[in-house]
Amino acid sequence: MPEGGGPRETRLGQRLPLPVLMLLAWLVPGLGHLLLGRRLRAAVFCGVIVVAFAVGLTLDGELMLPHAGDPLSYLAAIASIGNGVLFFVARYFDVGQGVVTAPGYEYGNTFLLTAGMMNLLLILDTHDIAVGKKDW
Amino acid sequence: MLDHLTLMSLDALLIAIFFSFLWKRDRHERGRYFWKVLAALVLGAVALGWVMYPFPRG
Repeated sequence: MPEGGGPRETRLGQRLPLPVLMLLAWLVPGLGHLLLGRRLRAAVFCGVIVVAFAVGLTLDGELMLPHAGDPLSYLAAIASIGNGVLFFVARYFDVGQGVVTAPGYEYGNTFLLTAGMMNLLLILDTHDIAVGKKDW
Repeated sequence: MLDHLTLMSLDALLIAIFFSFLWKRDRHERGRYFWKVLAALVLGAVALGWVMYPFPRG
Protein backbone atom coordinates (compact mmCIF):
# COMPACT_ATOMS: atom_id res chain seq x y z
CA MET A 1 0.00 0.00 0.00
CA PRO A 2 1.42 3.37 -0.98
CA GLU A 3 2.14 5.96 1.66
CA GLY A 4 0.11 8.96 0.70
CA GLY A 5 -0.01 12.63 1.56
CA GLY A 6 -3.40 14.01 2.50
CA PRO A 7 -4.02 14.37 6.21
CA ARG A 8 -0.45 13.44 6.99
CA GLU A 9 0.67 16.74 5.49
CA THR A 10 -0.63 18.41 8.65
CA ARG A 11 1.90 16.56 10.78
CA LEU A 12 4.62 18.26 12.78
CA GLY A 13 7.00 18.26 9.83
CA GLN A 14 4.72 20.59 7.87
CA ARG A 15 4.64 23.09 10.73
CA LEU A 16 8.39 23.25 11.12
CA PRO A 17 10.40 25.76 9.09
CA LEU A 18 11.87 23.98 6.07
CA PRO A 19 15.55 24.53 7.07
CA VAL A 20 14.84 23.05 10.52
CA LEU A 21 13.11 20.06 8.97
CA MET A 22 16.05 19.50 6.62
CA LEU A 23 18.50 19.88 9.49
CA LEU A 24 16.62 17.24 11.49
CA ALA A 25 16.50 15.00 8.40
CA TRP A 26 20.28 15.24 8.17
CA LEU A 27 20.91 14.73 11.88
CA VAL A 28 18.85 11.56 12.32
CA PRO A 29 18.40 9.26 9.30
CA GLY A 30 14.69 8.92 8.56
CA LEU A 31 13.55 11.63 10.98
CA GLY A 32 12.51 14.00 8.19
CA HIS A 33 10.23 11.36 6.72
CA LEU A 34 8.90 10.44 10.15
CA LEU A 35 7.98 14.05 10.89
CA LEU A 36 6.17 14.21 7.56
CA GLY A 37 4.17 11.10 8.42
CA ARG A 38 6.02 8.68 6.15
CA ARG A 39 6.55 6.13 8.90
CA LEU A 40 7.26 3.06 6.82
CA ARG A 41 9.84 4.78 4.68
CA ALA A 42 11.35 6.49 7.72
CA ALA A 43 11.88 3.10 9.38
CA VAL A 44 13.32 1.53 6.23
CA PHE A 45 15.68 4.43 5.55
CA CYS A 46 16.82 4.58 9.15
CA GLY A 47 17.44 0.82 9.19
CA VAL A 48 19.36 0.79 5.92
CA ILE A 49 21.60 3.70 6.87
CA VAL A 50 22.30 2.50 10.40
CA VAL A 51 23.14 -1.00 9.15
CA ALA A 52 25.44 0.38 6.43
CA PHE A 53 27.12 2.65 8.96
CA ALA A 54 27.57 -0.13 11.52
CA VAL A 55 28.99 -2.52 8.92
CA GLY A 56 31.39 0.21 7.80
CA LEU A 57 32.67 0.70 11.33
CA THR A 58 32.89 -3.05 11.92
CA LEU A 59 35.09 -3.36 8.84
CA ASP A 60 37.50 -0.73 10.23
CA GLY A 61 36.40 1.92 7.76
CA GLU A 62 37.33 5.54 8.22
CA LEU A 63 35.05 8.50 8.79
CA MET A 64 36.93 10.81 6.49
CA LEU A 65 37.86 14.37 7.36
CA PRO A 66 39.25 16.93 4.92
CA HIS A 67 43.02 16.86 4.37
CA ALA A 68 44.79 19.88 2.96
CA GLY A 69 46.08 19.23 -0.56
CA ASP A 70 43.74 16.32 -1.15
CA PRO A 71 40.65 17.62 -2.97
CA LEU A 72 38.92 14.24 -2.97
CA SER A 73 39.08 14.13 0.81
CA TYR A 74 36.70 17.10 0.87
CA LEU A 75 34.11 15.14 -1.07
CA ALA A 76 34.64 12.12 1.17
CA ALA A 77 34.27 14.35 4.24
CA ILE A 78 30.95 15.67 2.95
CA ALA A 79 29.72 12.11 2.51
CA SER A 80 31.01 11.10 5.97
CA ILE A 81 29.45 14.08 7.72
CA GLY A 82 26.28 13.30 5.77
CA ASN A 83 25.74 10.52 8.32
CA GLY A 84 24.56 13.19 10.75
CA VAL A 85 24.47 12.28 14.40
CA LEU A 86 25.97 8.86 13.67
CA PHE A 87 29.14 10.60 12.51
CA PHE A 88 29.40 12.76 15.63
CA VAL A 89 28.65 9.92 18.04
CA ALA A 90 31.25 7.72 16.36
CA ARG A 91 33.85 10.49 16.49
CA TYR A 92 32.98 11.19 20.13
CA PHE A 93 33.59 7.56 21.05
CA ASP A 94 36.75 7.55 18.96
CA VAL A 95 35.59 4.92 16.49
CA GLY A 96 35.77 5.26 12.74
CA GLN A 97 39.41 6.29 12.74
CA GLY A 98 40.04 3.66 10.09
CA VAL A 99 42.69 0.98 10.08
CA VAL A 100 44.44 1.29 6.73
CA THR A 101 46.07 -2.13 7.08
CA ALA A 102 42.78 -3.89 7.93
CA PRO A 103 41.50 -6.19 5.17
CA GLY A 104 38.08 -4.57 5.29
CA TYR A 105 39.28 -0.95 5.27
CA GLU A 106 38.25 -0.10 1.70
CA TYR A 107 34.96 -1.92 2.03
CA GLY A 108 34.35 -0.20 5.35
CA ASN A 109 34.92 3.18 3.71
CA THR A 110 32.50 2.24 0.96
CA PHE A 111 29.78 1.38 3.46
CA LEU A 112 30.36 4.55 5.49
CA LEU A 113 30.36 6.80 2.43
CA THR A 114 27.34 5.04 0.97
CA ALA A 115 25.43 5.54 4.23
CA GLY A 116 26.32 9.24 4.29
CA MET A 117 25.30 9.83 0.68
CA MET A 118 22.02 8.01 1.16
CA ASN A 119 21.26 10.25 4.13
CA LEU A 120 22.09 13.34 2.06
CA LEU A 121 19.60 12.15 -0.56
CA LEU A 122 17.00 11.82 2.19
CA ILE A 123 17.41 15.51 2.99
CA LEU A 124 16.50 16.33 -0.62
CA ASP A 125 13.59 13.92 -0.55
CA THR A 126 12.33 15.47 2.70
CA HIS A 127 12.53 18.86 1.03
CA ASP A 128 10.57 17.66 -1.99
CA ILE A 129 7.84 16.17 0.19
CA ALA A 130 7.64 19.25 2.40
CA VAL A 131 7.26 21.68 -0.50
CA GLY A 132 4.77 19.43 -2.28
CA LYS A 133 6.94 18.38 -5.22
CA LYS A 134 6.44 14.79 -4.14
CA ASP A 135 3.01 13.88 -2.86
CA TRP A 136 3.83 10.51 -1.33
CA MET B 1 32.38 -11.72 6.66
CA LEU B 2 35.33 -10.41 4.69
CA ASP B 3 34.44 -12.28 1.54
CA HIS B 4 34.43 -9.71 -1.25
CA LEU B 5 31.35 -11.03 -3.02
CA THR B 6 29.36 -11.15 0.23
CA LEU B 7 30.28 -7.60 1.18
CA MET B 8 29.58 -6.32 -2.31
CA SER B 9 26.23 -8.09 -2.33
CA LEU B 10 25.36 -6.67 1.10
CA ASP B 11 26.15 -3.15 -0.08
CA ALA B 12 24.11 -3.74 -3.24
CA LEU B 13 21.23 -5.10 -1.14
CA LEU B 14 21.16 -2.01 1.09
CA ILE B 15 21.36 0.34 -1.89
CA ALA B 16 18.62 -1.55 -3.74
CA ILE B 17 16.30 -1.38 -0.71
CA PHE B 18 17.05 2.30 -0.27
CA PHE B 19 16.37 3.33 -3.85
CA SER B 20 13.31 1.17 -4.27
CA PHE B 21 11.73 2.93 -1.29
CA LEU B 22 13.02 6.33 -2.35
CA TRP B 23 11.83 6.26 -5.93
CA LYS B 24 8.93 3.84 -6.14
CA ARG B 25 5.57 4.28 -4.55
CA ASP B 26 3.67 1.05 -4.47
CA ARG B 27 4.71 -2.35 -3.30
CA HIS B 28 4.68 -4.06 -6.68
CA GLU B 29 6.78 -1.35 -8.32
CA ARG B 30 9.20 -1.39 -5.42
CA GLY B 31 9.65 -5.15 -5.67
CA ARG B 32 10.44 -5.04 -9.36
CA TYR B 33 12.75 -2.06 -9.00
CA PHE B 34 14.54 -3.68 -6.06
CA TRP B 35 15.45 -6.79 -8.09
CA LYS B 36 16.45 -4.68 -11.08
CA VAL B 37 18.85 -2.52 -9.05
CA LEU B 38 20.22 -5.49 -7.11
CA ALA B 39 20.88 -7.45 -10.30
CA ALA B 40 22.42 -4.45 -12.03
CA LEU B 41 24.80 -3.80 -9.14
CA VAL B 42 25.87 -7.39 -8.46
CA LEU B 43 26.01 -8.65 -12.04
CA GLY B 44 27.49 -5.36 -13.24
CA ALA B 45 30.28 -5.56 -10.68
CA VAL B 46 31.04 -9.18 -11.55
CA ALA B 47 31.03 -8.34 -15.26
CA LEU B 48 33.29 -5.35 -14.67
CA GLY B 49 35.63 -7.58 -12.69
CA TRP B 50 35.89 -9.97 -15.63
CA VAL B 51 36.46 -7.10 -18.06
CA MET B 52 39.33 -5.85 -15.86
CA TYR B 53 40.80 -9.31 -15.48
CA PRO B 54 43.27 -8.99 -18.41
CA PHE B 55 44.65 -5.76 -16.94
CA PRO B 56 46.78 -6.56 -13.90
CA ARG B 57 47.63 -3.89 -11.35
CA GLY B 58 50.98 -2.17 -11.37
